[in-house]
Amino acid sequence: MNLIKPKKQPSPDATVFSGSAPLPEPLITGKQTFASITERISAIVEGKPPKGWMIAFSFSVSILLMLLGTIGYLADEGIGIWGLNNPVGWGWAIVNFVFWVGIGHAGTLISAVLHLFRQKWRTSINRFAEAMTLFAVICALVFPTIHVGRIWMLHYVFPIPNQMEMWPNFRSPLLWDVFAVSIYFAVSILFWFTGLIPDLATLRDRAKTRARKFIFGALALGWRGSNRHWQHYELAYLVLAGLATPLVLSVHSVVSTDFATSILPGWHTTIFPPYFVAGAIFSGFAMVMTLGIIAREVFGLKDFITLKHLDKMSKIMLVTGSMVGYSYATEFFIAWYGGNGYEMFAFINRAFGPYAWAYWTMISCNVIIPQLFWFKKIRSNVKILFVLSILVNVGMWFERFVIVVSSLSRDFLPSAWAYYSPTIFDIMTFIGTFGLFFTFFLLFLRFLPMVSMTEVKGVLPAADPHYKAPEEVKEND
Amino acid sequence: MTKQTLYGFLAEFSTPGDLLQAAEKVRDAGYQKFDCHTPFPVHGLDDAMGMPRTKLGYVIGLFALLGAIGGFWLQAWTSTVGYPMVIAGKPYFSWQAFIIVTFGLMVLAGAFSALFGMFHFNRLPRLHHPLFNSENFKRATDDGFFISIEAQDTRFNPAETRTFLTKIGAKNVEAISSE
Amino acid sequence: MNIDLKTYLLTDTASTRTRLLALGVLGLVLSFFGYFTNPAQFYHSWLVAFSFWATLGLGAFFFVLMHHVTGAFWSTVIRRIVESVMGALPLLLIFFIPIIFGLHTLYHWSDPGEDPLLIWKSPYLNTTFFGIRTVLYFIVWYLIISKLYKLSVNQTGEEDLRRMRRVSAAGTVIFALTFTFASFDWLMSTDAHWYSTIYGVYIFGGAYLSAIIFVVLFALFLQHNGILQKEITSEHYHDLGKLAFGFVIFWAYIAGSQYFLIWYGNIPEETVWFAHRWVGSWKTASLVLIAGHFIIPFIVLIFHAAKRNTGIFKAVALLLLVMHWVDLYWNIMPSLYPDGVRISWMDFSTMAGIGGIFLWKIWDNLTRHPVLPTADPYLMQSINFNKH
Repeated sequence: MNLIKPKKQPSPDATVFSGSAPLPEPLITGKQTFASITERISAIVEGKPPKGWMIAFSFSVSILLMLLGTIGYLADEGIGIWGLNNPVGWGWAIVNFVFWVGIGHAGTLISAVLHLFRQKWRTSINRFAEAMTLFAVICALVFPTIHVGRIWMLHYVFPIPNQMEMWPNFRSPLLWDVFAVSIYFAVSILFWFTGLIPDLATLRDRAKTRARKFIFGALALGWRGSNRHWQHYELAYLVLAGLATPLVLSVHSVVSTDFATSILPGWHTTIFPPYFVAGAIFSGFAMVMTLGIIAREVFGLKDFITLKHLDKMSKIMLVTGSMVGYSYATEFFIAWYGGNGYEMFAFINRAFGPYAWAYWTMISCNVIIPQLFWFKKIRSNVKILFVLSILVNVGMWFERFVIVVSSLSRDFLPSAWAYYSPTIFDIMTFIGTFGLFFTFFLLFLRFLPMVSMTEVKGVLPAADPHYKAPEEVKEND
Repeated sequence: MTKQTLYGFLAEFSTPGDLLQAAEKVRDAGYQKFDCHTPFPVHGLDDAMGMPRTKLGYVIGLFALLGAIGGFWLQAWTSTVGYPMVIAGKPYFSWQAFIIVTFGLMVLAGAFSALFGMFHFNRLPRLHHPLFNSENFKRATDDGFFISIEAQDTRFNPAETRTFLTKIGAKNVEAISSE
Repeated sequence: MNIDLKTYLLTDTASTRTRLLALGVLGLVLSFFGYFTNPAQFYHSWLVAFSFWATLGLGAFFFVLMHHVTGAFWSTVIRRIVESVMGALPLLLIFFIPIIFGLHTLYHWSDPGEDPLLIWKSPYLNTTFFGIRTVLYFIVWYLIISKLYKLSVNQTGEEDLRRMRRVSAAGTVIFALTFTFASFDWLMSTDAHWYSTIYGVYIFGGAYLSAIIFVVLFALFLQHNGILQKEITSEHYHDLGKLAFGFVIFWAYIAGSQYFLIWYGNIPEETVWFAHRWVGSWKTASLVLIAGHFIIPFIVLIFHAAKRNTGIFKAVALLLLVMHWVDLYWNIMPSLYPDGVRISWMDFSTMAGIGGIFLWKIWDNLTRHPVLPTADPYLMQSINFNKH
């Protein structure tokens, strides 16, 4: 139904308008065909790993073993081995938890939000960004799990009927966290696997050995590229993207409520949910960039992860970094404007108190450094981008450290004030999670296609049914 | 003997454009049990094949709603009847505090129903299929564009269908046995 | 009205122009008389109306900034419409004058007396600095808007697009800061004790949403009159619908976060703001706002057809525009009527007065230049957007 009564008017045509659009730049470079994409991406999975991979993998596994050892010791001794003290009951564990969850956000953002916005450039980075999400969330989940102390009682956080007829407290932000993060993990796996199905079928059809045929045959579930299947598949993928988008925004908002629902100065402020989300996207994109630069160098994927991708990611980091800066500024202003003495003290203490070094590291890395992304020269220099992306993640780690520790260590009761420093076990656990992350990530790079072949083929100009090869166009003109 | 075990024909086309035009012709010729096989979803093929819009969206909507209702009920019941406790001076029935988990369970139910609903409509997993008998069909997940017409179709006639497929531009037509 | 298809200039535009001007003058005259019957009502109604049109103009300003920053081309076909709305924003500075006269009625901080909190805030919240800030906001907005507007109407090709993009990138940063402080100054400080860090983002959510749906309604109005019927297609409405849907959720997310954290923290100095909006008929107003600004549009816009069906979309857009007004009313008025909602005829006369002139200026902007950016290289792509 259309309410407008059409008037007679000729359809607009290009002759009326003076401008004509330049041809869009290709999303991937180096004359690619459908077959060359299959070949290039599958070869990584089918061939022998590069030497660098073997070295990196053994290194990651040894760090992972250190993590497992530390966790074993923790389970035996209790969390007294950490540097927690009386006002600072939440130390590195929660800092690392928020840090890792935040990193995960960019993966979902790239795969879901950019899918909804029809940003085709996402196709060559979404797969490994989603993998990054999964592994980052696993790393994040390590911390609350081991922080409960008695790990074997962990199931009490879930609403499971038990003989004591006890139920979890649904009015606590910590329980919302349990739900938000585990649901986020589950939905990310579903989304990731849905995206993988057609590529698994490709690997199945290329498989030479019995083992590969069997494994990929089972995982591909009998996918045969049928258009009657694609129809349902595309809708399912779109809906998953539509569900993952509000979910990813809600997850970090929920994480922010761990702090913001309390009345501790520096924590209780209404801008926390969007501010945490912006920070999460900021750090996540930095991580995608770090990993993307490594992957394109090690596996020679410069045609797929192009300078254009890095440029767009830098711009997103510029935007989200500025949002984070905006939040710092608003918080500071309202701390004064509100006229609450405790709140003002918390902020002055952050900037000039015992943790000033952390605060200024945070400001430099999160607010000042992203301003470099205004310059095209910086956005197209891979080496500088690599360094900046790491610095951004350093800054984002410090942001969480500043929020958690500076507020806790100087709370309402001055006689209880104390300085917090981590112990060797705090440090080992944190470094250990990098081992966990990279072990998973390297296994993923080795055994699954790190670029979505299906989606990259779908955005090639030749994939459009109305596409005409350049020679044909000339003939018609 | 061969006729009884014939699954259908598999015709290969060179480009997505050729496939789209051929699919329109197969549809117009009145075939029902046919399908296109492509390495990626080709835009416009749903209309070219004359397929109805998918109903998966409604299924997901229903499950998401059930997830939300169930989630809210779980929290409301445990907080007011199952195990009422005064915490932080909040009322037992604090609907504000229940929104987050309600939303989460809605998304969870929606996401699971999206994937498994897709499996249901597609009759997957189905690890074996007659089309996998064709060596050439392996290219359907690489760079091949195929149309398959099943022998079960009422309009199917081995000789006519084969010439028809060649006429609409198939590069090669292969008979697929159902064993 | 009509259109010259050679130049894409509107013709026979005088009657609309006269009608809008008449509406504006009538509204202003009525409101002027209203001032003598009840000045407090007049000032508050005026602030609501001023904020409504100012946020609409600012939302359109942001729309243009985003159009250039993201390099979008689907919205090229409606760009001139949005630019006309944006271009009318600086004019609103004139309508700020009554607010300066009514400072003592509207803002308690203008006379802090013995109140220690207001004395503490007085370095920021004082009449002189308040006036300087507002003038400063308008100067900055005027500079960016006129730069963008000039570049757009004189556009010759790709190079100008790049210039507009550069201006917009810097403009977005300035916009964020000025918008936040403007919303603190004009709206949040009506309850001078209260504060919320998210307030600027909250007002921004409503402002941008109102601009999106205003563009929808404006485009429908033009098409009803036979203009741009072939150029603006249901694909464009669909995308505007998705954008509106997104910002319906965004507004609810931000407004919800503000409420939720204050509710949970339960500190009296913060909860007082919501407590005032939960007494008597204010409670009804709060519920209307939740239903009309979020639940109803959310449920309707979730459907594919609703965003393309111009009839339903028009109804939802009108609802949302009214709700944007309700939102601002709900923000401002409880400081005048703490006991309950009291709608006055001056609420309408001030809306018509400022609105008539504002719309007249928009119309004036639109009719001066082609209704499409005819020299934009992406125009044809935008028209054929998503068609196959």
